[in-house]
Amino acid sequence: MNISMQDIKFYDCRVMEGSSTSVVLDNGKIEEISRNFTKGAGIRALCGGSWGYTAVEGDINLKRGVEAASKLAFSMNANTHKEEVELAAVVSPEVKDLPEVRIDPRDIAIEEKVSLLKSIEKHAKLEGVQSTKVMYFESEFKVEYRNSEGLECDYELLNVGFSVSAVASENGVYQAGRESHFGYGYELFEKENVFELAEKAGKNALELLKAKTPKGGEMPVVLDQELAGVFAHEAVGHASEADLVLEGDSILENRIGEQIASPLITIIDDPTLHEFGYYPFDAEGSQSKRTEIIRDGVFNSYLHSRETAAKLGGSPGNCRAQSYSIPVVRMSNTFIDNGDSRFEEMLEEVQNGMYLIGSRGGQVNTGEGIFQFNAEKGYLIKNGELADLVRDVSLSGKTLEILNHVTLVANDLKMTAGRCGKAGQLVPVSDGSPHIAISKALVGGA
Amino acid sequence: MYELARKALKMAEQAGAEEAEIYYAANHSTGVNFKKDSLENARDYFSEGIGIRAIVNGAVGFASTNSVAELENTVKIAVAEARVRENDPDWVGLPSNGKYPQVSGIFDKKVEAIELEECIGYAVELVEGTKEVPGTFPTSGGFNRSKGKRLILNTNGIETEEESTAVSAFVFVITANGDTSTAYDFAVSRSLDIDFFAIGKNASDLALKSREGIKIKPQKTDVIFHPFAFSDILEEALAPSLDADNVQKGRSGLIGKLEEEIADPELCIYDDGLVEAGIETSSSDDEGVPSQHSTVVENGVLKSYLYDSYTAGKAGVKSTGNGSRSSYNSPPSVGLRNFIIDYPQEDLIASTSSGVFVNTIIGAHTANSISGDFSVEARNAFTIKDGALEKPVKSLMISGNAFELLKNITGAGFDVRKVGGIITPSIRVSGMSVIG
Repeated sequence: MNISMQDIKFYDCRVMEGSSTSVVLDNGKIEEISRNFTKGAGIRALCGGSWGYTAVEGDINLKRGVEAASKLAFSMNANTHKEEVELAAVVSPEVKDLPEVRIDPRDIAIEEKVSLLKSIEKHAKLEGVQSTKVMYFESEFKVEYRNSEGLECDYELLNVGFSVSAVASENGVYQAGRESHFGYGYELFEKENVFELAEKAGKNALELLKAKTPKGGEMPVVLDQELAGVFAHEAVGHASEADLVLEGDSILENRIGEQIASPLITIIDDPTLHEFGYYPFDAEGSQSKRTEIIRDGVFNSYLHSRETAAKLGGSPGNCRAQSYSIPVVRMSNTFIDNGDSRFEEMLEEVQNGMYLIGSRGGQVNTGEGIFQFNAEKGYLIKNGELADLVRDVSLSGKTLEILNHVTLVANDLKMTAGRCGKAGQLVPVSDGSPHIAISKALVGGA
Repeated sequence: MYELARKALKMAEQAGAEEAEIYYAANHSTGVNFKKDSLENARDYFSEGIGIRAIVNGAVGFASTNSVAELENTVKIAVAEARVRENDPDWVGLPSNGKYPQVSGIFDKKVEAIELEECIGYAVELVEGTKEVPGTFPTSGGFNRSKGKRLILNTNGIETEEESTAVSAFVFVITANGDTSTAYDFAVSRSLDIDFFAIGKNASDLALKSREGIKIKPQKTDVIFHPFAFSDILEEALAPSLDADNVQKGRSGLIGKLEEEIADPELCIYDDGLVEAGIETSSSDDEGVPSQHSTVVENGVLKSYLYDSYTAGKAGVKSTGNGSRSSYNSPPSVGLRNFIIDYPQEDLIASTSSGVFVNTIIGAHTANSISGDFSVEARNAFTIKDGALEKPVKSLMISGNAFELLKNITGAGFDVRKVGGIITPSIRVSGMSVIG
């Protein structure tokens, strides 16, 4: 095959190097201490309408990497007919306002970390709790980006986090409570009352043992910050990812400027916030920036890579990758913005329905606009007051219907860290919301 | 890096490890992906790395790297970590029996030799298949092939090296006009025996048939789960309770249930690392324990949990060869091998007078992995009336419990499918609670 670099319109390289540490404490015992050192690169080349991508772990020769990716792009392009890919212009990003790290976790001895984890675990081990698990992780990595347009930039980031879970059982019924938190420096463990979180996990597991499984059906609901955040991320955020829109796999296709939600709803994606989805520039060197996906109920913007921004009109900044994988359009920190209601008003408004709390995850079909989430627990709402605790409850429905059925939005926004999976890649994100009240939703139970 | 594996083992011993293990894995995969009906990109991934377990005074340290320059440091860190930990009285030792069974069908020279042009051809076949059905188009999909090499060495004399190949194809489709409906199909195999055109066509057929779904009344009814749907439930709601680690830590719904009837008496479940051409087939597990055929459930009775060498040592039994790693950078833990569901087969839909057929589900990962409770959204579901599929159902929530489900199985189809490592036919379960 004869390929000249003239055929290659664009190429870029992301070189990454970093290390991570994890410690797992299980029922009072260290179950795992592991360290990983990693190094590698992901290289893209564009020829006409086709991308070639080469990822290499370990020590790499960038020149050869670019050649390999170029070859892939060239033969793809020679074998298929496709319109040329255009890329929205970007300028050199400013790397600023990185999260401050006061205490570098690498300066803390592993013994000290282990003893902290043991104290955290003790607090989760309330009477009646059978087993507990605490996980700690820290990671530091450096990303260097450069492309054929002359852009060169880099940053280093450090993450620290932990999770605690407790399991309680009674008469063959098992219930778990989980809490987690993360930050950018080891001061996380000073700032947050981690022992309180651990106790909360234990308490939750114990309470859930006593909870009932409710009858499902259509009813008015109140969602807590975490579950409403999952809704914002899963149901709305994914459908606003421009690559899915271009695939014809989003109900939000051709909806910009339309009123698609209650005017109370504003949904934002903001990678500049120092939450778990933070980044100073994305995997294409685009400056990170705040995007209003929905403003006062009106669909305002998709989330873009350089390619989708050029195609649909918009600005890039949401193209991300897990380590050496190919970058795709992703969310960062996604949330429903604060309204001005209070939680008590919501109970009053709902009168009889359900208050759903927390999330055990969920899934969404962006093409049909259907979603399903499982709450951690809930309370029946009877005559405007919280009543019985319930478990094994889920929420499902049509994204656009739910958005339109929002009747109240509180002013108590809270973010939760997590990892989002798409195209086989996990990236750190956070999502959040204030409490929201919805006039009608399908709740699944026994 | 491969050449350094033996050296790394020596380094670990020199650094003070009483026992040590080197896990080396390399993989090269090539994929061609499409968006709508046009090919978008070709990808080549090369990965290679080493994971080291070092044991000092009955405590294990683990470290890994993909960088030759970091290898020596990584080995030392694994040993240093082991020193931080207290003696673990449950630690028995790294595996030592290195007599391996013969396995076949996991390496295909043709897959290794595929050129990019051929990969493009298979991706095009997937797209062409979808075009066979007017009124639908693909949203995304692709073809992928990979070749892997694994080497496991330990200071107890384990030395096992294996090469394997895999190909996979997947396609997502959506209907073009009118009522929107989506569907997907996929296949994973060790060799090129996949009918790519048929995968595209199946997905499109299913999306088209799923349009204009009706609502159904909340009820308890017979539900037939397609292998895609059933394997999701098995993996998320049942498998965690078979993991000996969860059993030992009080996190399994099957604690104390050995030799008890936990399922319909006609149900058998096997975990088997030796299946011809299986996706989870290998002469050994990921810590060098010879693969085996294990009976998990025999005629409804729970016969065994699944063990890696650590949990087996702790329980005083033999490892079942279920030591599993997702990558060189993680230490082993218990994982399924080929997981086989065996139940008397029949023409399943024809023998069902009324109920629901469910092709796929979303939300299985939200199941309570201890209690087995799940609540999932069924996709591409159809009502069954008088032994035939009747009408598509738009939205359907299915709630249940994995352990109850095992007891209420009343039939299996002839349509056995390898869904990754899970090998199962369609399964009918009576009395499932559905909300439409």
